[in-house]
Amino acid sequence: MENITLQNISLAIGILVILIGLWGLLTQKNLIKIVIGFALFDTGIHIVMVSIGYIKNRTAPIIDSAVDMNNASNLVVDPIPQALVLTAIVIGLGITALMLSYVLKMYQKKKSLDITNYKDLKW
Amino acid sequence: MVGPIYIIAIALGTAFSLGFFKNANRNISFSLMFLAMAFLTFISGQWLYAFLTQQQETIQIFTAGFKPPFSISLQMGFHEAVFLTMINSLGLLSAIYLFDHLREKGVNMMMVFMLLFMGLNVVVMTRDIFNLFVFLEISSIALVGLIILEKKQDAISSGFKYLIASGVISGILLIGIVATYYYSGSLYINDLISANLSLVKGGSVAVFLIMIAVILELKPFPANGWALDVYQSVNAGIGPIISGGIATASLFILYKLLPIGGDAWLLPIGITGVISFLGSNFLGIKQKSSNRILAYSSISQVGLLMIIMSLSTSLGDKFEFVFFSVLISQYLAKAGLFWIAGIINKDEIDDWNILKKSPGLIVLVGIFMFTLLGLPPFPAFYGKWELIMNLSQSGNFVWVGIILLGSLFEAIYLLRWFGKILIKQDNLEDLKIKFHKLIPVIFVSFAILLFSYLTAKWSGLIGIKYYIPFIIALLIFAFDFLPVFIKNIAAISTVAWYSYVLIYQTYIPENDILRIVFGSIFLIGAIIMLIPGFTFKGKRQGFYPLVILMFSGLAGLIEARTTFQFFFAWEIMTLASYLLIIRGKNAVKPSFNYILFSMAGAFTMFAGFGLAFAETGSISLNALADVLVYANWAYALIAIGFLVKIAAFGVHIWLPSSYAEADDDVTSMISAILIKSGVFGLIILMLSMSLKNAVSPNIPYVLGWIGAIGALIGNMMAIYQEDVKKLIAYSSIGIMGYILFALSMMSHMGWLTAFTYSIVHFLYKGLLFLAIAGVIYRTQTRNIYEMGGLIKRMPLSFISVLIGIITLAGMPPLAGFAGKWMFYNAVIMKGWYLQGAIVFFSGIVAFLYCFKLIHNIFLGPLKDNHRKLKEASIWWLIPQFILIIGIMVISVYPKIVVEPIGQYLSMYFPNDGLVWDGTTASTRLGYWDATKIMTVFAGMFGVLFIILYSMSRKTQLVEQFNIVFQGERPERPETTHYAHNMYAPYNKALGFLTAPFITSAWKFVYESIHSISDQVRKFYTGNGQTYAMHIIIYVVVFYLFINGGF
Amino acid sequence: MKILYVLFSFFIILNYGLLQTGFIRRITARVGKRIGVPFYQPYIDLVKNYAIRSQFSHGVMFYLGPVFRLSGGIGIFLFMPLIYGNEMFSNFSMSGDLILILYFMFIGMLGMALGAGEGGHPYSIIGITRGLSQFTTIEVPMTLAVISIAAQYQTLSISEIVAAQQGGFMNWTIMTNPLATAAAMLAFLGMIGYAPFNVVNAPQENPLGPPTEFHGTFLGMLQTNRVILHVIESILFMNLFFGGATNWLALIVKAFIIYFYAVFIGTVFPRFRIDQSIKWFLFIPTILGILAVIFIS
Repeated sequence: MENITLQNISLAIGILVILIGLWGLLTQKNLIKIVIGFALFDTGIHIVMVSIGYIKNRTAPIIDSAVDMNNASNLVVDPIPQALVLTAIVIGLGITALMLSYVLKMYQKKKSLDITNYKDLKW
Repeated sequence: MVGPIYIIAIALGTAFSLGFFKNANRNISFSLMFLAMAFLTFISGQWLYAFLTQQQETIQIFTAGFKPPFSISLQMGFHEAVFLTMINSLGLLSAIYLFDHLREKGVNMMMVFMLLFMGLNVVVMTRDIFNLFVFLEISSIALVGLIILEKKQDAISSGFKYLIASGVISGILLIGIVATYYYSGSLYINDLISANLSLVKGGSVAVFLIMIAVILELKPFPANGWALDVYQSVNAGIGPIISGGIATASLFILYKLLPIGGDAWLLPIGITGVISFLGSNFLGIKQKSSNRILAYSSISQVGLLMIIMSLSTSLGDKFEFVFFSVLISQYLAKAGLFWIAGIINKDEIDDWNILKKSPGLIVLVGIFMFTLLGLPPFPAFYGKWELIMNLSQSGNFVWVGIILLGSLFEAIYLLRWFGKILIKQDNLEDLKIKFHKLIPVIFVSFAILLFSYLTAKWSGLIGIKYYIPFIIALLIFAFDFLPVFIKNIAAISTVAWYSYVLIYQTYIPENDILRIVFGSIFLIGAIIMLIPGFTFKGKRQGFYPLVILMFSGLAGLIEARTTFQFFFAWEIMTLASYLLIIRGKNAVKPSFNYILFSMAGAFTMFAGFGLAFAETGSISLNALADVLVYANWAYALIAIGFLVKIAAFGVHIWLPSSYAEADDDVTSMISAILIKSGVFGLIILMLSMSLKNAVSPNIPYVLGWIGAIGALIGNMMAIYQEDVKKLIAYSSIGIMGYILFALSMMSHMGWLTAFTYSIVHFLYKGLLFLAIAGVIYRTQTRNIYEMGGLIKRMPLSFISVLIGIITLAGMPPLAGFAGKWMFYNAVIMKGWYLQGAIVFFSGIVAFLYCFKLIHNIFLGPLKDNHRKLKEASIWWLIPQFILIIGIMVISVYPKIVVEPIGQYLSMYFPNDGLVWDGTTASTRLGYWDATKIMTVFAGMFGVLFIILYSMSRKTQLVEQFNIVFQGERPERPETTHYAHNMYAPYNKALGFLTAPFITSAWKFVYESIHSISDQVRKFYTGNGQTYAMHIIIYVVVFYLFINGGF
Repeated sequence: MKILYVLFSFFIILNYGLLQTGFIRRITARVGKRIGVPFYQPYIDLVKNYAIRSQFSHGVMFYLGPVFRLSGGIGIFLFMPLIYGNEMFSNFSMSGDLILILYFMFIGMLGMALGAGEGGHPYSIIGITRGLSQFTTIEVPMTLAVISIAAQYQTLSISEIVAAQQGGFMNWTIMTNPLATAAAMLAFLGMIGYAPFNVVNAPQENPLGPPTEFHGTFLGMLQTNRVILHVIESILFMNLFFGGATNWLALIVKAFIIYFYAVFIGTVFPRFRIDQSIKWFLFIPTILGILAVIFIS
């Protein structure tokens, strides 16, 4: 039972979300659903990142009344993964937005949201 | 020096400030962007210059005032400078190329363009792994942004595939980065390297995730469908950015992160590269779309670079040379081809013959393709040489095989494409070329030439002398506007000067008979065969540079002292002759056969040299003699290369049609001269290897049989040909069979025969082809049955052909008999009776086509449309009569040629030579006195002629149709010319011998490869999800492989 | 001096050849239940042909063809040692060996082919192609036999081959190397050109084959050549396989028997088509030749 810590639970959830996202990305035929799958995949990764950076019984890396300036490094979790997650979220957002605009363009041209209709180039 | 940090500042600043312009004034915004790009190029270029000339030290730039790992640091070292210069100058050229496109699409596109290059710059420079991730993403987003702005249906759907795939890959990378951080506590690459993560429990997974993501960014085969589709669909201006910019940057990422993985990752990366190289090239051969071909080629080249990278430790200080020579060639050539594809704007390679409208572009395409193929003098050649030598030395023979096989596949599709460009077709559309699109292409081609020179110098493998022919060829090319007459004189005097230097000044004092003989055949032969060039009118553009290159290649063979020089010259000669052949009217397909066989032969030769190097560690030609362990393999592999060139049985099928379709004077050059290069090579090989007993005697034995069968089949085929040039071409196969047979006897007499045959074959084959060419020039047909009776119109040509066939058939008293006589002696001394009998039989079969040749062309009734023909031009006749003089001298007085050769051979084969007593030559078997025989024959002939003449002085010359024809007078010459299908009964009895087994067999191989390739490539379904699936499977398989799951 | 001896031998060979031809014509006629020509008929033909005054020509090669042809025939004679151990009757055999003689035969064929070609008559060319086709395959057993005996005696000099066979009947090649002899003697049938291998000239359906257009002096030269060639080929075989000759009588007897063997077969058998004869030569005689070579090596 020792393994069921907050960190491990979030890690497991993160991986689960990644897998769900991948599943959606790989199996759904609808373009929008694929994008959603991707967004899930991305979110899962973010959860994993945060959970990796988490240290038991510590607080958020913000220096305020709860955190003493001098003892900060022992009280807060590692701030870097969190900073990374922020950046990653921004990038993920960018990619998702770009994907959606692609879907839009594709739909405008062919009036179809089925990915199997977009196989003009192959081999 | 401008600090590298300004690259980011300027690029970012420009990108944002472009936003202010909206679409108000696109010229200004374009100029701004162009200036920014130029400044980027300048910065990176100046750093490169500093590293190259001033021993600049690598510098680190720390942002935000902290040292890493607490801040992001950038690094500017030599490698960074090279990569940045490459990427930024590509950006600059792309901007020029895309000038109208960018203006049309507006500032949005310019911004994205700028961002893309900023991203790539940071990717190269950064030393922070998360930063790397971020800017990698920025570049991908920018690329996809460029694609969506294209507003093309294909491009958009493939861009979406790209997004899915790169999303998955970046997810993997991100997890890997975080995991790495978790285990090492740092994001600074230098820390990661020193952390030795692979040894930490769990750390190896982190490293795996990072490495696999980086590998996937390189689009390894087969997880690369997404990239292929993008390559194919995007605007031609963006293709080079992907292949030359993004792929180059990705390679640098791998290079940068490779130390994290440590040495354990070298092998997997090498294997990935091998699979990528072979697989992509294999699938490339079935492609029809030019952009997709380039895509496959890009990916295969990246595979090759991965192989090189994986060998970084064993290549040692040669690593940089090999890596950059291949990388830069691929980068320049690929960009050039993509740009030309954009200029043509035709996706199907079948439509590329529109380029016929602008020959200059064809030259450029040629340069780019040969650069990609790694042919000399282009830079990748040197790199590939070092690579293969190194691989062989470390015993990776399988890799050598795979790389060479992959290169052959690459040659198949690139050269077929090149051929399609040259296919003649009427009613071509006009080709509109925008000048600004041409600038980058021309710039790149010059860069290639410059870089070729630099690599050659850097390699240290060849001396300054080797540039001379290229300079001369370039000079002649520059003066290509001059008329043929002047260029021909220039070419002849160049060759004459060189043969004076080479033969008279170098080898005659050294008394190196082998090189004197072949040097004379190659160079003096060249002078003789160039004389007919005076008949051509106009400019004959491109002909003379190639001729000079071909003959310089031949001279290079003579001069070569190392295997590298030999191979260099060999490839130059092959390439130049290929280009000469392809100039013929319908020569595209035959020349393709020629170059494919030649390339395959050259590659086996390459592998053989590699084996020899692996054992002796020396590239000296003499060191071949010291090969002991691999002697059989090396010998056989090298020999195959030469066998292809002399069209030995089994690999002969390229020859007839190539000869037939080449220009007429080219045919005589290649048939009389070029083909001897294979003989020369065999002699060099046998002298150094066969004599040392390390080589199994079975190999020469097999070669002997190949020669004998080749002689029979060649001659048998020749008698059924109706195309006169094919007839002589098949006869060449036969004669080369004799020579191969004679050489493989490995005895004094055998070799004497081979030498004599080489000389005599040069004389009479040149004579025959020249005479026939003169006839074809007049009659305008190659069909032998459409000629006839031309003795009345072209008596001098008739004399040439008569002497030619008498010599060919080996009848006394002319020189051909010398060969036959020595042959008998050699065979009986050697004891190869059965093979010998086959060879003699084929020698007699030669009579049939000799007679066919002279009868169908010159005898029989004259055809109506030939009644007013003139004798062949004097320029065709002069060389013929020079050759006839040569034949006559050797016929009357063979001693002057045969005796020195015999003395030379005595050094190697001291026993059973030819003994000269006056003019009588004797062996322990028989004797022969050519001078006396000639005297007796001439006397007898004279007496009989006088008798006949004196008894029939009043002979009346009758009209053509005045013959005993069953009381009738034939109406048309065609009805009395027994010419077509002349040897029908022979065919009926022995036709089975000439069934095209070999051709069918090769065709089967060729087509099987194509259909397999066609089937295999179907796994690229075109569905983005499948591609993502490929990536996942690739990762899993790779993981299992790394961890011993297999 | 040498030239005089050569001319003398030539005179003998020529006359003997003419007589032989006459006799053989008579013999074959008798076999066919005809009376036949007188034995001196060849002399008459020859004189008549050389004497004909009205002649016409088709061109230079038509002129040179017969010269080539006869040069080939006489050439073989000139390089052939006739009487063993006799310097005077060994002609110019010191200038060339067996190979030279084998290849000299081709000169005559070439001359015929060129002359006939210039004549422009399709029948001539049909004859030529047939002759050449057949000849290539005749050479296969012949070459094998020559290789076999050259390997056996380790020499290519005809004189030395003859020398090696001296000392009695048992030393002749026919006894020491019967396979080679058999192969060569079958090839000999083709060289001489009687039935079943006479479709080349095919006197009935293809008026005379290659010489169709030739007449007068031209034809005379061709006839002279034919006469000499038959004799000299018999002598070649005699030298190679039947111990040579030490005097003129032995030479004539042996040469006649060898020649008569071909005539005998020619009068008994019908004619092969050209593709049949090609196959025939490449079958039994070639196998014999291969066996001879294998046997000797």
